[in-house]
Amino acid sequence: MSNGSPTQGITTRTYKPGSIVYFENDKSENIYILKSGLIILTSQKLETGEEVKEEVRPGEFFGVKSALGRYPREETAQVIKESVVLVLTLADFERLILKNVNVVLKMLRIFSNQLRRIGRAVREVLGETSTINPEEELFKIGEYYYRAGRFNQARYAYNKYLDYYPNAKYSDLATKRIREIDSGQAESNIAPQPVKRKEVETSTEELKDFTLDDDIDSMPAKESVVDEMDDFLGENDSASSDFDIADESPKHEDISSLFYDAMSFYSQSEYESALQIYKKILNQKALKNDAENKIYQKAHFEIGRTYFKMGQYNEAIEAFSLLMKKFPQSELNVNALYHLAMIYEVKKQFDKAKSYYQKVISLAAKEEIGKQASRRLKNLESR
Amino acid sequence: MLLDEKLFDKFGVEYEPNDIIFCEFEPGNDFYFIQSGRVEIVKIINNREKTLDILGPGDVFGEMAILEEEPRSASAIAIDHVKLLRFRRENFDALLQGNPQLAYKLLVIFSKRIYDAKRRLMILLLDDPQLKVMDVMNMLAEQDPHLDVQEPVTLRVTVQEIANWAGMQINDVQKILTHLNKLGKIELFNDRVVVRNIRDFQRLVNSRRKSMYA
Repeated sequence: MSNGSPTQGITTRTYKPGSIVYFENDKSENIYILKSGLIILTSQKLETGEEVKEEVRPGEFFGVKSALGRYPREETAQVIKESVVLVLTLADFERLILKNVNVVLKMLRIFSNQLRRIGRAVREVLGETSTINPEEELFKIGEYYYRAGRFNQARYAYNKYLDYYPNAKYSDLATKRIREIDSGQAESNIAPQPVKRKEVETSTEELKDFTLDDDIDSMPAKESVVDEMDDFLGENDSASSDFDIADESPKHEDISSLFYDAMSFYSQSEYESALQIYKKILNQKALKNDAENKIYQKAHFEIGRTYFKMGQYNEAIEAFSLLMKKFPQSELNVNALYHLAMIYEVKKQFDKAKSYYQKVISLAAKEEIGKQASRRLKNLESR
Repeated sequence: MLLDEKLFDKFGVEYEPNDIIFCEFEPGNDFYFIQSGRVEIVKIINNREKTLDILGPGDVFGEMAILEEEPRSASAIAIDHVKLLRFRRENFDALLQGNPQLAYKLLVIFSKRIYDAKRRLMILLLDDPQLKVMDVMNMLAEQDPHLDVQEPVTLRVTVQEIANWAGMQINDVQKILTHLNKLGKIELFNDRVVVRNIRDFQRLVNSRRKSMYA
């Protein structure tokens, strides 16, 4: 079937009708040029399994993509009329086409069309055709770097946003952010009130399950870490649905309504506003009853949690320490210890993190928080 | 492969460490060739910055801009002081005429891209979530040609990544992985999955694929 005659390393083969040059799923790095005859390539349409037949005409290449990409053949090449085929190794092919760039350009165009078609099919299956709004997403990239304290990168994204969308939804905010960065003000208030980021927030909540993706090395994971904590604060979870969004500061100084206003800000990621109200609660002197006393304690905890969420870890440590100092018997302290452990984990002070997780475990081994602590501890120890 | 020095006078651009070269979701018209320094390709996924790739001299990035004007799918950030050649879509043909090596390189990149995209489409078209998850693992195993499929195989992958590949919610993927773990088919670690018998998964997926078309 073959009568190899090496010319510059390239061999020529003659095939009889009905024979096969290669089968689907074969692995090979050969590339072919049909010199004369007729060959049919048979593959299956991915979407339907329908058979697709493609003719190779004299002068055309076949078997290029799978050889170059080093993956299995995607089609079967069957000989219809007696054919003469040139067989090229990858090196032959490279040498040959470097002398003829027009061939490469033609192939690139064919490839890019195919890539475009497959890309479209992928997006269709994913239902992604209309959901992504690049304008909003570009702004969010700026927000991400801003909150991470990476101001040069944030500035770049905001500037691009303004270039492409000068009069859009977030233009004013982008301008304001750039001003904050340039004036150095941003440094002092990293992570002020992020724009409400519904999609992002819900998707980070999906990270609650962390058996695999609990990779502290790729911090900032603070978002997902904090979301785990929401499990322990059941009543706060409902904050977003139970309480109306308060646009103005509360009118009366009733401590429980102050607290709920703050929670409401917190649940909308308006951390600065939440902090202001929590601090107001801390300034209350006369606490009427036990319930108020509890809220007062809770405000201490929430200040720590809010700073934690903002990535201001030193402030968070201070707040949690104050809580434990003022209320050594508070039932919130276990959770405060757990937060301290997470903070030290983020700060890569692993010994401290471990000892705090151990404290949590010793105080609440049977509870969910104790179990989570031991999971995280195990994680740290297996590093 | 390094390109002609003369090209740098015409197309050269330089970046300082941590400079963004282009940003995810920014419309893109240019593609780049690295002359010196390293470039990190990152994407923000679920509020975390993930490194997709680190590229060095001779590498090409942003080449999808040759195809069509679509927003960038990832950001490129300079790691070192970086020297790049920046090319516009419009002078693409002229550029390749003068640099057949670059043309060849792009051909290889596109071949791989097409296959990866097709392979992913095959996963997405499966009608059973568990098989989708299994097929992501099959795909990852295929990417390492030296893997011995007779033995348990270790795949460096996170739940998040599996969910992205399979186009599924991370919670659903987690449930399936937990289930497979309980059945003893896989072992889960923080940064990897060990599949006891990948041929098992291949068989299951292949037979479903055949019956789908029947």
